[in-house]
Amino acid sequence: MANTVIGSSIVIDGEVSGEEALTILGTVKGKVAMAQNVVIESGATVEADVEGQTVTVSGRLTGNVNAREKLELRPESKMVGNAKAPRIVVADGASFKGNVDMDA
Amino acid sequence: MAADKETIIGVETRISGEIRGDEDLVIKGRVDGKIHLSQALTVEKGAIVQADVDVRTLVVSGTLVGNVVASESVRLLPSARVVGDLAAPRVALESGAAYRGRVDMGDVEAARAAVASRAVGKPVATSAEARDRSAPPRMAPAPKTGVIAPRAIPAAPRAPTERPAGAIASPPAFPRVAGVVGGSAPAWAKKKVRRR
Repeated sequence: MANTVIGSSIVIDGEVSGEEALTILGTVKGKVAMAQNVVIESGATVEADVEGQTVTVSGRLTGNVNAREKLELRPESKMVGNAKAPRIVVADGASFKGNVDMDA
Repeated sequence: MAADKETIIGVETRISGEIRGDEDLVIKGRVDGKIHLSQALTVEKGAIVQADVDVRTLVVSGTLVGNVVASESVRLLPSARVVGDLAAPRVALESGAAYRGRVDMGDVEAARAAVASRAVGKPVATSAEARDRSAPPRMAPAPKTGVIAPRAIPAAPRAPTERPAGAIASPPAFPRVAGVVGGSAPAWAKKKVRRR
């Protein structure tokens, strides 16, 4: 599982980077760049450009995503920004506005 | 809102910026910036934190560079390496902990105001309390002798497996601390700062 967890009452203003997986339940503003998977849980708010192996969104994300493997927008998610990933899954019920680029 | 999980900054994660929140935070990786929590902060062994810290309780077994204000307590465990001022009603330095900086067990609110005003680039608060804090006599004996005032440790809540609280208040229990307080920067501290 994720080695780094940002809890629901936590607000981070700045840059989060690293070599491991990240789960966000709280708020992150700035930039997220991880070598492993990034999970934005339901209830979380992310206003940042996000980079990860796979990026899974159940909460709200405003910013550009660059996933090396896959971007997944779950049913309750809301995303505004450009998506770049070789595979992109948008579930029924997800809200998305932005460009899609699957040209890996 | 109560969190299902505590917040953990993993070994391989680095955050630069500001962290705020109302839950416990455990840092195993690296944080540069500012940390403002209404709950407990734990800086684990191996973690490197360069930040001004305002929390309820702080426990350090890793490396921390920055000024600390804790509304309840600060505890430096044996593997802790800390440079910066500590302001808290209870401060415990365990034998083996390396520390350089000023300790103030007096008015935490004044210290907090001073840190806050420093943070926004204003001169240190002009209130009587803040002036009082900066006046040397209030904590004069501590830096000179390296002995933390006895009132410091009123039988702090401690895990039963650890040595009794009384040991901390007695000067011979932490000779390394006595050597570091008020002295020049220890080699490890210089190295850490240079590496940035």
